[in-house]
This record gives sequence, C-alpha cells and structure tokens, in this order.
Amino acid sequence: MLSNPVVSRELLGLLRTRRSIAILAAVAVAFSLLIIARWPSDGVVDLSGATSRDVFRVFAYSLTAAVALLVPVFPSTSIVQEKQTGTLALLLNSPMGPVSIYLGKLIAALGFVLLLLSATLPATAACFTLGGVSLFDEVLPLYLVLAITSVLFTTWSLLVSTAAMTTDGAVRGTFGGVLVLFLLVLLPHYFLDGSESSLAGIAAILRNVSPVPAIMDIVGHADVGSRQLVSQNSGVATFALFGGMLSLLFAGMTVGRLNQTLLDRARSQGNVTDDRAAGVRVFRRLMFLIDPQRRKTGIGPLTNPVMVKEFRSRQFGRLHWLLRIVGGCAIVSLGLAFAATLGSEEWGVETIGGIIVSMQAALIVLFTPSLASGLISSERESGSWELLRMTPLSASRIVRGKLLSVVWTLLILLMASLPGYGVMIWIKPILEEQIIQVLICLAIGAVFAMLLSATVSSFFVRTAPATVASYSILLFLWAGSLLVWLGRDAPFGYSAVQTALSINPMAAALSVIGTPGFESYNLIPVNWWVTGIASGFLLVVLLIQTWRITKPE
Amino acid sequence: MVDQAPVVEISDLTKRYGEFTALDSLTLTVDRGTILGFIGHNGAGKTTTIRILVGLARPTSGTALIAGADCVRQARKVKHLVGYMPDRFGSYSNMRVREYLDFFGAAFGIKRRVRSQRIDEVLDVTGSRYMQDRYVEALSHGMQQRIGIARTLLHQPEVLILDEPANGLDPQARIEMREILLRLADLGKTLIVTSHILPELARICNQVAILHRGKLQACGSLEEVTRQFQQNRMIEVELVGAEEIDRAVAVLSEHSDATGDVVPSPAESIVRFRTEKRDTELGNVLAALVSANVRVTQFREVASDLEEAYLTVTRGEDNGSSREAVAAAEPVAAAGGVTAGSVTAGSEAARAE
Repeated sequence: MLSNPVVSRELLGLLRTRRSIAILAAVAVAFSLLIIARWPSDGVVDLSGATSRDVFRVFAYSLTAAVALLVPVFPSTSIVQEKQTGTLALLLNSPMGPVSIYLGKLIAALGFVLLLLSATLPATAACFTLGGVSLFDEVLPLYLVLAITSVLFTTWSLLVSTAAMTTDGAVRGTFGGVLVLFLLVLLPHYFLDGSESSLAGIAAILRNVSPVPAIMDIVGHADVGSRQLVSQNSGVATFALFGGMLSLLFAGMTVGRLNQTLLDRARSQGNVTDDRAAGVRVFRRLMFLIDPQRRKTGIGPLTNPVMVKEFRSRQFGRLHWLLRIVGGCAIVSLGLAFAATLGSEEWGVETIGGIIVSMQAALIVLFTPSLASGLISSERESGSWELLRMTPLSASRIVRGKLLSVVWTLLILLMASLPGYGVMIWIKPILEEQIIQVLICLAIGAVFAMLLSATVSSFFVRTAPATVASYSILLFLWAGSLLVWLGRDAPFGYSAVQTALSINPMAAALSVIGTPGFESYNLIPVNWWVTGIASGFLLVVLLIQTWRITKPE
Repeated sequence: MVDQAPVVEISDLTKRYGEFTALDSLTLTVDRGTILGFIGHNGAGKTTTIRILVGLARPTSGTALIAGADCVRQARKVKHLVGYMPDRFGSYSNMRVREYLDFFGAAFGIKRRVRSQRIDEVLDVTGSRYMQDRYVEALSHGMQQRIGIARTLLHQPEVLILDEPANGLDPQARIEMREILLRLADLGKTLIVTSHILPELARICNQVAILHRGKLQACGSLEEVTRQFQQNRMIEVELVGAEEIDRAVAVLSEHSDATGDVVPSPAESIVRFRTEKRDTELGNVLAALVSANVRVTQFREVASDLEEAYLTVTRGEDNGSSREAVAAAEPVAAAGGVTAGSVTAGSEAARAE
C-alpha cells in the first residue's frame, strides 16, 4: 500500500505542516497532563482500583471527543482542495483508478490517526499502571472503538469532500455530519427510552451509529447516568457492525463519485425569470413563493449593504432556501407538538421540552459556526476584503452588517421551532416562566456561538481552518461540559458538574425545563452572567480585530 | 477641455518593511487625463506605491496626494477619488453581476435610483451589459476584469488605478481591454496601469514610469523614454540575396564603429548592426556598400520599443550603473517640460498608435 504514490504524498505532505505537528504535540501533552492531574498523591493505596477506573473513564471520553474533533480535519478538505487547485484532474488522468486514489487518501488519513492515537499511548500506559483497568476488557476495546470511529469519520469526510465545492463548505458538511453521527443519533433514544412505540425501536437502532454507547459500555457507565444508552448486546460489537457498514457505504459512494463528472460542470448562464414567458413566471412564483431567479431590486436606503450582501452571497441565505429550512423546522416542531399532545402523559412535558431544546441547540451548534466562521476570513481568502476596505464603510458598520445577517437567520430558524413551546404552555401553564428562561438561554447561547465564530474568523485568512477552529472551540466548550455531566456520579462530584455546566447555555436550558438528568442543577443566572460576559468580551475583540485589519498596513 | 493640473502628487515616498526598503524616496506627479504605465519587475515597488495611493498601506515617510487629498490623513476622502482594481478580482459567490455592482454602489453611499442608472452606465462603458444577470464566479477571467473595471467606475472616481488589468487575458480580451481603457481616458479619467506586458502598455499609455528596486529610474512620455534609453541605433540592411551577405559584412565591419555587433541573417538576406553614428555618417556607410557593389534593397533604422528601454534601465541598474540611469532619466523629464520625476499628459499620437 505504501507503494501507492497518493499515500506517500498525502501523508508526507500532512506531516510537513505545522498544524499536524501542533495537533500531535497538543494531544500528547493534554492527555499526559490529564493523567498527571489525577495521579494519586497521598500515601493511601486504592486497592479496589476505583480511582484509576475514574481516571480511565475521563480519559476514554476525552480521547473519543478528541478523535471526533481532530480526525475529520484533514480528510474533509483532501479532495475538494485537489479540485480547486486542479490536481484532481491530473490524478484522474493518470493510470491510477478511483479505488487506488481513494485508498491512497484513506490510508494516508488513517496513518495520521495512527500517529495521533500513538501519541496517547504513554498516557494510556500510565493509566494502566495505576491498576484496576483491564488491558483486554477495557484498553484494547477502547482503541478498537476509536479505530472504527476514525475510519467512520474519515470515510464520511472524504465523501463530503467529493461533494463540496469549497473547502469551508466541506469542513461545515463534515463537522455537521460528525455531530449527527456522534451525538444527535443518541437523542431520540435518550428521550424515547421506555416507550413501546415503533419510533422508540428505530431510535434504539439508530443510537448504535454513535461510538458513545460503546465507550460507555467499555468504561462501565451503562447504568450511571446513561439512561440505558448502551444496547443489551455488546456495545463494542454492535458499534463495530454499524460503524463498519456505514464506513463501507460512505467509501463505496465516494469511489463511485471519483471520476471526471466531478470536474464536468457547466458554468451557470444566469437565467432570469423576468425574461421568461408569463406562464413560466407564474408557475415559478407558485412553486417557489420567492423565486431565486428573479431579478432583485437595489439595496434599500436604510439597509446595511453588508448585511444584504451576506444574505445574497450565502447559498442558504437566499430567501427561498430560508423558507425551505423554516418550513422544515416548523414541520418538526409541529410534529413534536402533536406528539406532546398525544403522549404527554407517557413522556411527560419535560421530556418533550428536552427534545425541543435539544433540537434547537443542535440547530445552533450546526448552523452558527457555519454561518459566522467565514464572515471575515472568506472575504480575506477571496480578496474581496481589499475591496471592502476601499469603500467608505467603517469597521463597525461592516461588523454590524455581517452579524445582523447571522442574527436574522438564526432568529428565523429558532422562531420556526417555537410552536412546540406553545403546546407545552397550553398543556402545563405553570411552565410559562420556565419556557421564557429557556428561550433566554437559547438566545444567549446563539449570540455566544455567533460571536465566538465571528471572532475566530477575524483572525484567519482562510475559511476552512476558521471553521474547524470555531467548531472545535464550541464543541470543546459545550460537548466537553456534557462529557463532565456524563461522569456526574464518578469521577466528578456535583459541584464540579455544576461549574462545568455553567458555561453551557444549552445545559442551562435543559435544567430549567427539568429534563431528566439536568433537573438537580441550578444554572440560572450564573450561566447568563458567564455567557453574557464572554459574549461582550468576544464582541470587543471582534471589533478591535476588524478595525485593525481594516486600517492601512 | 481637460484640466492638466497634477492629480497625483507623490513626494519623497518611502516604505520600509524592517530592513527591506520597498520604496525609496519616490517622487512623481501625474497630470489629469494621463494614462501612466507603471513598469517594474516583481517586487520593484509598484504594488506598494499603489497600495499607499489607495490608502491600503501607510508610508514610512513622504506624502502622496490625490486631487489634493492626503492618502494617509484623508483616507476616507481618497476612497471617493480613486477607483482601484487589484490583481485579484474579489468575487462573491451566488451573486449576479448586477447585485455585485449594486452592493459596491450602496457601500459607496450612492442612492438607489442613481445607482441603478450608474450601473447601466458602467456596464455600457465596459461593454458588459449582456452579462448583468450572470453569476460573478461563473464569469471568465476576461469578463471578470471588465466587471472589475465597472466596479471601480461606479462612484465616478477621478483616478483609476488598475493592477495588471491585461494579465491572463486572451488576445481578443486584451484588445477589448485596451479599447475600454482608451475609452476611459476619453472620458477624462486619469489612469495608472501596471502591467508586465510592455507592448500592450506601449499601445495605450502616453506616459511611462519605470521603477526598479523601489527607485524611480525613468519617467516621461513613451517616445522620450525609449529614445533616451536607446544606447545604440539598430540599423537593418536588406540585400537582394544571401550571396551578398559576406561582402556586406566586410564593408560594414570596416565602416561601422561596433564591429562585434554586425550580425548577418542569411535566411532573411539581412545584416543588422548597432552604431552611434549620426544620419550623415550613416549615409557614408550606405555609399560604401553601394561602391562595393553590394545590392541594397533597404537601409533602415529599427525603432526601439518600451521593452528595450525597460531592459536597458533595469540591466544598467543590475550592473551597478544606477547613477547613469537616473542621470539619464532626469533630462527625459526635463524634456517633458516639467520638474524632475513628473509626467505630463502626452499627445494623442501615442494613443492613436
């Protein structure tokens, strides 16, 4: 396999970048520090091995989160970058077939994963030395699950990379998919567990796509706060089956797409509905409501031109796309409301509330970095930042326009999922105050995610790394605090979990609505203060940085 | 009637990046209505000068004024006076050409009704009306260059600064670009154009400035600069047949002042030589050829071009003869009837060429 020229080129090219060296070093240091921090310092020997098992749990979850965040970074841009630079055409014109090209890329990406996992071996060895952790029952299955997870996420990343037209689009698609495969597939089962409906059966199967139940099975978390996420069968074997099947599916789809048709795309001729026959115009009006191909009027006098530009230049910013997304959200929300009405006694209003909050949180995590992480970096990448600097627009007006374009989009999306709350208030009027608090939590969370992504964007000149950084920081903060919550009985105590969750507005929303597992934490108003102050700080940094890069060099 | 007062005034402009001097005491003025060709190697300081002029960079010392406005202290005012087209197009995806122009018009604060008319005008001037509904990222390079120029014209600037507008264009697009630039000059715009394609510049510019290693080496009208830097005249003698070549070379070697430079081309039946002789002395050379029974069909001077002048300047500087080159540049400017390092609006002849 090493004779495959793509393997050596990709892997060597990857290892020559500072970013890959930094990632490897950071992983080795971070996991060593984690073990050092939990290393026993008193003279009492823990013969039961409970301490080392606690350490191993945190270690396993952190390692899984690190794999989910870091593994897709390089393969997600691997093919789309070749498309953009034109080297994919050269590869496809070489005697190498799609399978060897694909295998070259896959093996190179997995080679990096191998190095990444190797960097954690000293920390694992130290953890094993503490005692109480079995090599064959825990350590090796953990690495097996991590290996399958890496293959799954790498094959997914390569598939997205063939479909995407831009590197940042590939990164967004990849991380969106990773979030779904890693976390969101767990939610239906989490909420529907115990129900005898067919939906619950589907949800039970769906959760096996995520590596989390398998990891919980390995670390013995099946009954501790897991809400029976682990299946009755062996979690590792089930995940290996589902993960393997999905990986094969993704690999097959990618190989099928790796041909000349990827590069054979006609340039748009710019057809405009206004120039077409009256019948066509009426038909399109009925079909689209807002026809994307109609000629637009000029930007209005009181409108921030940057905001309008952002909407128009964003693929999903066009009104017809927003309408479709809003329609989808409204349908899901109304579906939940309908389910709440029928099954409120069985599920409980709190569970329904938890589902809606989780859905909105997922929307925020998926959409916000995708919308905001390219706000400034994409301009700098395409060269249009120079043109913006040449206009009389001030830095604050540019920032305002850009942020407004994200605020409006998020507002529309979140509003579309509100009917479910209305139904909850109708079923249980006493919840009104709590729902208002939930909405405040979600709004603050959305603002924080937006400002974080926009600020990260202002420090980058390319959008793909800006998007990776935004998703990584946001997931580190929010998914990381949920990992601490998962270990809420051991190794983390109540106050540690409470502190960790205080930086997570989504956890605050879940605690307010009384979602099982979160109801005992009192996160309001501390969470609002923490998130609010952090957002204010980010806004100041964003304004200063934008002003700095707008000024003459 | 075009007002020929200086519209761009650069005085002792210096830009340093640490130890590296990108621009060294550049002094230059450009009159209204001029098309100035700004020539230099990569890294000569052209883009640095342009970025200072448009307010994207700050000089280490010296001043740059556009229509009296200081490019550093009155950067906001300068933005309205200058239209800048960088060498990168600066595309937005999913935007049609008209929407793209509408955004930049709105960013410059042009009112909606006026903006729509202005967009029509600039699309007409650049011959791009037919592509107003196309998506900007789907345009060819030549089309994007046209839209780039249209964008710079939206706010009706006095000075247009175009960085490599002909770069990467096919011959047809290059001809069209030339026509657009000449049309803009007819509208009274002052143009500063950089390019590596010197024959192209020579066809449109009435003035040129040659920059080398951050220093201005020459400036003036195209004819003045090329003549000044023409070290020797190149004379071409066309003969009746190739059999005359040897005799011709012998005569020319005897009478020419640069024997090593007599170059025969039997395939063309031509002998070329370089000389510093004046016309009357060259008449004697021709007479000697005729006396030696060499049958001459043509005896002519080959006109030197901008490329040759540019290479002479830069080669001279590279060989350490910068002082001579600068000294040579000064009389050029003086011949233009203005102060050293200044450029006047040239005759229509250069453009008509």
